[in-house]
Amino acid sequence: MVSIYNSIMPVVQRLAESGWLPESLKYAFVFNSLVAALILGPVLGGIGTLVVTKRLAFFSQAIGNAALTGVAIGIILGESYTSPYVSLFSFCIIFGMAMIFTRNRTKMTTDTLIAIFLCISLAVGACILLYVTAKVNVHVLDNVLFGSILTVNELDLNVLFVISFICILCGLGFYNRMVLSSFNPNLARVRGIKVIFLDYLFILMVTIITVASVKIIGAILVEALLVIPAASARNLSRSMRGFFFYSAAFSTLSCVIGIVIPMELEIPVPSGGAIILVAAFFFAATTAIRQLRRAYPALGKI
Amino acid sequence: MLTKNEDPPRGPSICFEMVGLCLSNITILQDVSFTVKAGDMHCLIGPNGGGKTSLILSLLGQMPHTGRIAINWTDGTTIGYVPQVLDFDRTLPVTVNNFMTMICQNMPAFIRTKKRYKDIINNALRLVSMDTKAERRLGELSGGEMQRVLFAQALIPFPDLLILDEPGAGIDRIGARVIEEIILVLKKQKVTMVWINHDLKQVRQMADAVTCIHKQVLFSGTPEEVLTTEKVFQAFSATTTNVRRDSP
Ligand SMILES: Nc1ncnc2c1ncn2[C@@H]1O[C@H](COP(=O)(O)OP(=O)(O)OP(=O)(O)O)[C@@H](O)[C@H]1O
Ligand SMILES: [Mg+2]
Repeated sequence: MVSIYNSIMPVVQRLAESGWLPESLKYAFVFNSLVAALILGPVLGGIGTLVVTKRLAFFSQAIGNAALTGVAIGIILGESYTSPYVSLFSFCIIFGMAMIFTRNRTKMTTDTLIAIFLCISLAVGACILLYVTAKVNVHVLDNVLFGSILTVNELDLNVLFVISFICILCGLGFYNRMVLSSFNPNLARVRGIKVIFLDYLFILMVTIITVASVKIIGAILVEALLVIPAASARNLSRSMRGFFFYSAAFSTLSCVIGIVIPMELEIPVPSGGAIILVAAFFFAATTAIRQLRRAYPALGKI
Repeated sequence: MLTKNEDPPRGPSICFEMVGLCLSNITILQDVSFTVKAGDMHCLIGPNGGGKTSLILSLLGQMPHTGRIAINWTDGTTIGYVPQVLDFDRTLPVTVNNFMTMICQNMPAFIRTKKRYKDIINNALRLVSMDTKAERRLGELSGGEMQRVLFAQALIPFPDLLILDEPGAGIDRIGARVIEEIILVLKKQKVTMVWINHDLKQVRQMADAVTCIHKQVLFSGTPEEVLTTEKVFQAFSATTTNVRRDSP
């Protein structure tokens, strides 16, 4: 993985210096963040279609909040402030698995259950965070909470490569089966689908991709990128093909535009915030298009 | 019956022995015993909440039931299942074709439908007269159209045992004819069918055997034997009082 990075980077730098690519790409952090955006965009957009189909938007929000707690735990355990991956991964995975385990074992409705988990996680996170901020500079935390392209380093990219690879593999392999199990679990089981296993696998996918996106989008906002592009895509598409590819495209565009514009205009905003604002713009635009199509059916095929 | 030179039934026989089911301390089924003969079209009737769906799920091995359910398998027996409902967000952009593709293949439906499944899907949809609506969204289908798609799904791959959970509900006369015709074809092929059906007229016409379930077996036998006015009246009058008591 390191070698992938090391082999691409010099080439891009040379191209940037000789004017083939935008000049800012010769800076490592710009290069890093754009690579991250180009990987994260499609993966988050694709998984987002599953999140929306399975009606788990709220669920993924809870995992995003768990990331916040994970960061807090990492700092207290003495991991690096900027990339406390061990704590992040362990806490979020335990959290996600516990949530789905409890859901499968109790008669509680899912939204009540998620609300409980979400609040517990926030409470723990808030306590630990306030405790640790007495010791460290608070602004270090901003990066993890809201994303910052300045701090994306080689380690982050490598984590992102590996996690995305796993998610793409599982996502493509099990996409149909995951959708079917949410449509009717009994029918899915008759057809030999391991419904419970796929439940866990999907939450695991959402969890690890959330953790991998923390640096660039931030713990608080990752989940927006799982939901908003898919919702925008749903506005435009009539079939699963459009749904998936529009979602991946909107998500990727949001990431790239959200990184490039603030950088070019030198506006000091967190990358996560900018990315989500771009995504929100796409949502507004597609909603408008949908309304127009309703009013004037002749516009049907845009 | 004219059994001289008939093929042996391709479907299995099923034997329910003292089947019981308790969910969250409520007894849903108790001492249910009856037999479905191989190649029979066996209807289950009974009041709402009587436990028909639960019994079918027990048969499919998806309920923690007690007692014994023996399916007399031959190797490679395929089960088709038509569920009562699909639970999905009706605004989702999933077309009938997308749905059928997801049933058939593992390659994501958003990429494409593999060539070898295209004809299979098209044929199954044509059987239920839904081939012209293959590009409709699932959410835009009427209740009856949805049922027909669910029926088509159960025909891929061709089943030896077909389990239908009220495919007639919400279906109009034409839709009912479509399904009756397919069921007659399946009957000729000696597929074993277990069909939850509320339409007593249809049961009288088509069923080889009928069992009425209301927690227990109220009666079981051929339609001529058991579907007497008196018995049916008893079963469903018990129902009315029960339903009133159950619903607040
Ligand atoms: N998972 C469950 N937990 C607790 N009770 C359940 C569960 N599933 C079903 N029941 C109860 O079991 C009873 C039988 O339900 P079932 O769905 O089997 O009835 P049914 O005969 O199929 O009715 P209908 O004609 O309305 O489809 C109902 O009273 C229902 O409330
Ligand atoms: Mg039922």
